[in-house]
Amino acid sequence: MRLFFAIIVCKLLRFIGKLAGKGSSLPGQYALKICPDALGRVKLPPCVIAVTGSNGKTSTVEMIAAILRKSGRTVVYNEEGSNQIEGVATLILCSSSLSGRMRGDVLLLESDERYARRTFRWFHPTHFVITNLYRDQLTRNGHPEWVYNAILPAIHPETTLALNADDPLVSLFAQGHENVKWFGLEECSVSTKEHHGVYHDGARCPACQGRMEYICYHYEHIGHYQCADCGYRRHETDFAVTALDLERGTLTIDGDTEISLAFKSIYNVYNILAAWSVCSLAGVDKETMASVINNYILKNGRMVRFTLGEHHGTLLTSKHENSVAYDTNLNYIARAKAPCQALIIVDAISRKYFTGETSWLWDIDFDQLNCEQVKKIILCGKYVHDLAMRFDYTAIPAEKIACYDAVPQAAAALAEDGGREDLYVVTCFSDRDKLLNLVKKEEG
Amino acid sequence: MKLTIAHLYPDSMSLYGEYANIAVLRRHLEAMGVEAAVRNFTCEDPPDFSDADFIYMGAGTERRQKSVLIAAPRCAPALKAAAEKGAVILFTGNAMETLGASVTDASGKVWPGYGLADFTTVETDQRTPGDVVASPVLWDAPAVGFMNKCSVTHGIAAPLFHSLPLGFGNDAEHGAEGYVSGNVFATHLTGPALVKNPDFLDLVIRRLFALKGWEVPERLPVLPHEREAYAVTLRELEARIK
Repeated sequence: MRLFFAIIVCKLLRFIGKLAGKGSSLPGQYALKICPDALGRVKLPPCVIAVTGSNGKTSTVEMIAAILRKSGRTVVYNEEGSNQIEGVATLILCSSSLSGRMRGDVLLLESDERYARRTFRWFHPTHFVITNLYRDQLTRNGHPEWVYNAILPAIHPETTLALNADDPLVSLFAQGHENVKWFGLEECSVSTKEHHGVYHDGARCPACQGRMEYICYHYEHIGHYQCADCGYRRHETDFAVTALDLERGTLTIDGDTEISLAFKSIYNVYNILAAWSVCSLAGVDKETMASVINNYILKNGRMVRFTLGEHHGTLLTSKHENSVAYDTNLNYIARAKAPCQALIIVDAISRKYFTGETSWLWDIDFDQLNCEQVKKIILCGKYVHDLAMRFDYTAIPAEKIACYDAVPQAAAALAEDGGREDLYVVTCFSDRDKLLNLVKKEEG
Repeated sequence: MKLTIAHLYPDSMSLYGEYANIAVLRRHLEAMGVEAAVRNFTCEDPPDFSDADFIYMGAGTERRQKSVLIAAPRCAPALKAAAEKGAVILFTGNAMETLGASVTDASGKVWPGYGLADFTTVETDQRTPGDVVASPVLWDAPAVGFMNKCSVTHGIAAPLFHSLPLGFGNDAEHGAEGYVSGNVFATHLTGPALVKNPDFLDLVIRRLFALKGWEVPERLPVLPHEREAYAVTLRELEARIK
């Protein structure tokens, strides 16, 4: 009976909330007060897929949903990104009949990495995808091993794990777990023998702290590794990108399916492979998967095109406090062919909480911008001096760098500089509208 | 003029851009005509710090800190000898904990530290990450930074900061923080603490000059953006306190 009331209250509050333009956490929060074990009582669909990790959750989940829908399945998922237990409760209860049966063939959840155990205390996914563990918002998350410890209790013995074999810390989730499937990238055109990046989180074995040796790196600490001390090593894959040409924008999965990339980034490659792997495990055929993923343009795209003065601009949304996200976007600029300028904004470090912490700037490999086609680098925002100091420790010539305290000043200077170079903007959700409000956005 | 910097275990203990402390120190020393050689150590290397004038270790994960503590008994005599010789030693983040008598981990296991001081640390399963404003004992301007700790440290009589207007000290909110004894400095401030705090950096430089018997210039170099960056962070954090 309590479940019945919880579902009614949840649906009612959600209805009112939608009219008032409110978020999706509150109805679930109230429903869980009425029936704390509601999520354990609802009859869920036969397939429950969860995705967690530091980066790429939203994109991966979006592609999984698109594939599963194309295959004819009805998918319920947290499109609004409410990925903690209250938001998940809203999603599940609002998709349930009053008798407590959830509609749909698949429940698909983007799960917050730190709070997954709260959600999965009541039910467990049939498939759990873990994409990667990076330094991400250390001010909130502690550090990658702390996040690992937080995810571990959320893993049920019956769940099939789909793990990124190229991430040594993610791979550690397989220890003592029977049902594991692996995805990864074979040695290919992006692979290097040397480590690139400012820090190396893969230098030590996550299992024994011994010295890790890499056969190849794909980026940062992602690659093929083995521990010199305990033998812990990259697992053979069940699903693999067997060839990759980022220049041309193509990848091959399992040696026989070529996919074109709408966004030529190594990130996108892993997100596609993660989506491919779990959809394959859910029984979708290759042709259907390929037809959806080929040239897939994310609705949740974090790239915005605009014009500012004579400049054709591309905003590459990064995340502050996440050096891997920055490095990926800087790499995108480093691979540009035409002359360009780069604008980097650090004004509010987070949109959700206050912090003045800037040590993450020292983890970003800004030297990637030390290339011929990058003609000028503009730094701006409240923390411009922290940024400028960081750039003083790169090999980038000082005369290429200009500093502004505020976004409007930087935008005005760009609008009036008469240059026609492409403009790449790297910043976070917390700061990007400060620029986007001042430019002319392009459609599509 | 030449001196030697020993950077301990950067492959394990570099969670928050700590290499920047070494980089900024070197840059300042260069501006003063001092050539600083940096030697990076791993836990497996022989702990020979006999020629080191400055010894630094940054923060790591709890597990990485334990891998350092496993090697601590082997390395402690060399570190103690360096301290007795007057080498300037700075341990930041949870590296600070290793200087003491012991670290008790969340499972209750006790790990002996280097024993340069007799304080003890107990880890908890709660993290207290947060911005910090600290009142220094040895210089005037407030220190700024960030901490990301899951431990309390007891038994420090001589802290580096006598109170924290913002943040969690050694064992209490707003309480005293860090440790200082002669040229040995420790604080749980993470990351580039010397970059963020020009006065702290200047103190380290003065101590190094004194150690080497060099005359300290009246004015130490100020490099672009350092004071401005500090002022912005202090302004933001003080507004937060109010």
